[in-house]
Amino acid sequence: MEKIKVNFTVNKKPVTVEVNPNERLLDVLRDTLRLTGTKEGCAVGECGACTVILDGKAVTSCLVPIGAVEGREVVTIEGVGADGKLDPIQEAILENHALQCGFCTPGFVMSAKALLDENPDATKEEIRRAISGNLCRCTGYEQLTIAIYEAAQQLKEAQKAQI
Amino acid sequence: MFKYDYYRAGTLDEVSEILARHQGKARIVAGGTDIMVQIREKDKRWEDLECLLDLTFLESELRYIREEGNQIHIGALSTHTDLERSEIIKKWIPFLGKAASTVGSPQIRNRGTIGGSICNASPAADPLTPLIALEAKVVIHGKAGEREMGLKEFYLSQGKVDLNEDEFLKEFVVEKLPEGAVTEFVKLGRRKALAISRLNVSVVLMLDKEGSISYARIAPGCIFRTPDRVETAEELLIGKKPSEELWKEAGKEVSDEMIRRTGIRWSTEYKQPAVEAIVEDALAQAAEMIG
Repeated sequence: MEKIKVNFTVNKKPVTVEVNPNERLLDVLRDTLRLTGTKEGCAVGECGACTVILDGKAVTSCLVPIGAVEGREVVTIEGVGADGKLDPIQEAILENHALQCGFCTPGFVMSAKALLDENPDATKEEIRRAISGNLCRCTGYEQLTIAIYEAAQQLKEAQKAQI
Repeated sequence: MFKYDYYRAGTLDEVSEILARHQGKARIVAGGTDIMVQIREKDKRWEDLECLLDLTFLESELRYIREEGNQIHIGALSTHTDLERSEIIKKWIPFLGKAASTVGSPQIRNRGTIGGSICNASPAADPLTPLIALEAKVVIHGKAGEREMGLKEFYLSQGKVDLNEDEFLKEFVVEKLPEGAVTEFVKLGRRKALAISRLNVSVVLMLDKEGSISYARIAPGCIFRTPDRVETAEELLIGKKPSEELWKEAGKEVSDEMIRRTGIRWSTEYKQPAVEAIVEDALAQAAEMIG
């Protein structure tokens, strides 16, 4: 098992890693790049705690062999928000008390962000569907749905203001 | 932790070369939504795995959904999300899009591919029954070139498909359904998201001018050793007018066929009424679409 070299971008920064070929994107994010905001829950694609955005789509990083991200763009929880400010989705989650232990939160934020980047007009039903691959065991989903919906409205208003 | 190498191939022929070189100890990875889980769970099948061969860099060769005359060609690397969103599928074979939309979660659908789903050969794969109902063909690429066969024959047994060591699945080919045909897919899982089918069924119905059924397909999932239609249940519908009674008869025929083929098992007490109910539901919902 020879190490492989993989070039990709994480949160818009180009990185090159030399890692074992049997590592997963999740391992490399956490252990090599020390981006520990992405959490490992079930490790079999069922809980969504390790969700990141890969080329614009939400994926569970526990199921992505590291070699598969060559040349691709990865966004993690560390890459949302800008200029030292939280993303509106994160703000709305705080505002709505949509977390307790917080372990699932980064995954939810990434699923929500992938949705709103693609469809800022998402309905609550579409939000529920977009976060259906994320498990939360303490807070439940209602506050999260409301928070993401509110964030969507804010984002739309901010966009309008820009125009 | 299993140790294995990771390769990419630049061309379809190179995929076959690498597969042949490793003599069955190279495994193709596409979305990774099955194999990465199996490796993680130390599935004995992969103890001797020498390498994962990643197909996802062959998107231009293998990721497409296109119409060609009366046929639809679906590249093996098409993701469940691709199927769910395809206008071509929505227009001609909507139950395949619906089946794809019920796979796993958004994250799984964004990565998981139809080729992987079929080659993993789980009898519970959601896209399997619509493809069986459509009598899909598979195109297989190997060192000697390409060959085509029926999906039904391609699926040998749970976990096993008809691929030689140098071969991989390239695409699915299905005939468009006749104008006026409606389709439905119904799935029974333990919860709404991330549920693996306990049972599912795909149906196609079409009526003639007099309102009698002129075309029917019923392909139940998870109940046979290898996927199949229930032709006796289809025949029973032909020439009759849609009615609740008729759907019940068809459901009963599917469950009778299940018992004829697999015998009475520990799960029969549950599966018998459940399969009858989902067949009835699917036929009734399809008939409603005809209006």
